[in-house]
Amino acid sequence: MKPDVRRFDVAVIGGGSAGLAAAVTAAREGARTLLIERYGYLGGTGTASLVHSFCGLYLLREEPGAVLANPGIAGEIAALMTAATGIGPQRLGRVDVLPQHPVEFVRVADELIAAEARIEVRLHTEVTGVSSDAQGWNIHLAGRAGGRTVTARCLVDASGDAVVADWLGQGFGMAAARHLQRPAYVFGVMNPAGMGNEFHLRTAGLLVEGMRAGAVSADALGLSFRASGRPGEIFGTLDLTGGETPEDFDPLDASCLGALEVHGRRIAAEAIRWLSGRDEAWRGCYISHWPLRAGVRESRRWLGEYVLTGEDLLTGRRFDDEVALATWPMEFRETARGPKLHFSLENRPAGIPLRCLKPAGIERLFVAGRCISADHEAQASIRVMGTCFATGEAAGRAAARS
Amino acid sequence: MESSKHLSPTPTDLIDWLNAEGLLELDWDFPEDGDLFAAGLDSMAVMQLVVAVEDEYGVELGPDDLTRKNLATPTTLAALITAKTS
Repeated sequence: MKPDVRRFDVAVIGGGSAGLAAAVTAAREGARTLLIERYGYLGGTGTASLVHSFCGLYLLREEPGAVLANPGIAGEIAALMTAATGIGPQRLGRVDVLPQHPVEFVRVADELIAAEARIEVRLHTEVTGVSSDAQGWNIHLAGRAGGRTVTARCLVDASGDAVVADWLGQGFGMAAARHLQRPAYVFGVMNPAGMGNEFHLRTAGLLVEGMRAGAVSADALGLSFRASGRPGEIFGTLDLTGGETPEDFDPLDASCLGALEVHGRRIAAEAIRWLSGRDEAWRGCYISHWPLRAGVRESRRWLGEYVLTGEDLLTGRRFDDEVALATWPMEFRETARGPKLHFSLENRPAGIPLRCLKPAGIERLFVAGRCISADHEAQASIRVMGTCFATGEAAGRAAARS
Repeated sequence: MESSKHLSPTPTDLIDWLNAEGLLELDWDFPEDGDLFAAGLDSMAVMQLVVAVEDEYGVELGPDDLTRKNLATPTTLAALITAKTS
């Protein structure tokens, strides 16, 4: 057994795409690193929420062929994923994405961690609060065995929800409920007969028929399907409306999120029941798995030494202290009626300065992932996993060196 | 009162209407035979299109109408709606 270490150089809160990249990088920089994750495996949105594409890995370009925007750990994870699935990057419209399988991502994350002797992972562990003193950070952990406190010289908030800002009571912003990006509810489905273009269009028609017949809720207008890359398996993705009153949507409130998830399961079950009873291509289909959690796209955002703006993304602004490139178009999901994509001028990437990973006025604290310092518009680009790997890597490196 | 329904939409009517409904974001000079799928018409947008076509034109499009060929361009889509109204 490993000794019960309670003092670390770097502690990372959240084992999603950003926290995984931060922890691996900090360890490779020589830091004794603690990675804290509330679920039983790493990967966050890419595993627990079944989001099955790595977006933001590649530069936007007219020419065919996908080119990594941020080599480093993003490229490493992309290569491991392709080795696991046998699937490379695909062009969808104007963007290149890497299809990824959540089950494979769990193992890819395990193997990345296992290769680093300096990382200790605490799964099934919640952080309940932090405080700082001259030595660094006290991090209060809770699990079924009780509570305990560990210390770290430097802290990385890769929680997605800027939980450290909330505990410190300062330094964050959040869009009004009606503007927050809506969450995605992704579920696995087995046995459809085909997944060609005509199948998707026909399915859209079948679902509207179900709505006319009163068998399927109109909320299924936010439902789409995509092949998982495995034989016989597809994913359904339902964009949730956020509740009957958009003003009441709060992704941080467990009762709100939980109720939305129950609703998502009801819509999904209705839709699959209707389709499987109605059409030959859907006969024998069933829902094979639910996500641990809806894919929350946006909640609190840190306000750092610099706040990246939608204008920076649109014009492809570059910075002397940039540590990563944002390439994904600003993808607005403020309604459950499909994405609205805003591309940068001439497909230019934008720089993400280190100042966006540094909360203003707080020492030895860095931020990574979808809650870095960005306005609502810029967050619509930087939230994607490909970019989260890169900001995670940058935060892990900065934390290990400070 | 004059009805706002256009029983036989022209391709240009459809381009304006798709924008007004927020179903797609088409440029002002989007061609009548431009590729709607390339412009972002995916299965989710098709469902919303079917609902909106029923509201606007009183036409029920069914699964068999929703082929890639029928939905390819403003011209083919206008022809589909016109054929279903007559």
